[in-house]
Amino acid sequence: MEEDDMRQLSAEELGALCSNLQKACTKQLRSEEAALFAVLASYYDKQRTTKADCDYNALLDAINKDLSEGFKDASKAAEDANDRGAKRALVWGEKASKLLQALMMRYEKQGSALLENTNVWVCEICGFVYVGDTPPSVCPICKVPSFKIHPIQKEAV
Amino acid sequence: MHAARTISLCTKDCVCLFVCPTGATDTENGQIDFTKCLDGCRLCVDACPSHAIYLVPATYPVPQEKSEAVRKSLLALAKSKADQERLARSLAEASDDPVFRQLMDAVATSNHILAEDCYREAGYILPQSEVVRSWLRSLLSEHEKDEDFPSDAVTTLLEKL
Repeated sequence: MEEDDMRQLSAEELGALCSNLQKACTKQLRSEEAALFAVLASYYDKQRTTKADCDYNALLDAINKDLSEGFKDASKAAEDANDRGAKRALVWGEKASKLLQALMMRYEKQGSALLENTNVWVCEICGFVYVGDTPPSVCPICKVPSFKIHPIQKEAV
Repeated sequence: MHAARTISLCTKDCVCLFVCPTGATDTENGQIDFTKCLDGCRLCVDACPSHAIYLVPATYPVPQEKSEAVRKSLLALAKSKADQERLARSLAEASDDPVFRQLMDAVATSNHILAEDCYREAGYILPQSEVVRSWLRSLLSEHEKDEDFPSDAVTTLLEKL
């Protein structure tokens, strides 16, 4: 990463970069290297700070902004460079973001009833979110089989 | 280049045990013994009736170059997704409603995965690549005097990758 980009990265950004590389090592069956990237990822996890004055709408606004600007800008760059790998990530990411937007809007209307007697699931490959008792047999966004779609636990506070 | 078994696909026909010249395919944990496996042999790969065995490359080609515009816009999107992960985690922590916490946990997890994918396509796809290695080196110099930073882990990574 270039020096000027480096300084701007938050703990969350560095954490995602490390966990991405950790997963890549796991896929290459390099368990030692994966464990070392996990050590680095957990260092950044500990550096994370929570925002005190955050509100629900700020999160929804950020998702909306990605959908109206971020994905469009990046898709244009990917189109100009004929970068089909980047396009793939953007197609999946935009679909997953639209579902996040819809989920948050549904929660605004329905409140806790949204997840009453059911579960919420996330695809570990593409970030697809799903509310229901059982996830689809293949992910509708990335087409991975359902064993890679995981329930998010409801934890007692 | 050694063989590896996808255990969830293996139908235990055990043809790999018949064809393996070194006994590497016959182990108590279900995975192939990589240290015994012959480089590039692939007899078990071709013999397996359930297509559960594949070869793991020892080296990888240099990843495709990314254009500066693609790299910049994907890094910007990764930042946005990472910020949303932070917001969702903050909202979860500030709440004592288990359903809301569960929902925000899902949003945070999804955003984390989305950020990872942006990094992958911004050029950080292959751990062995020079972009990753030079980033790791820059971390070492940046955190030279930081005792909490896992410098040993990063040094070992640079040796192994």
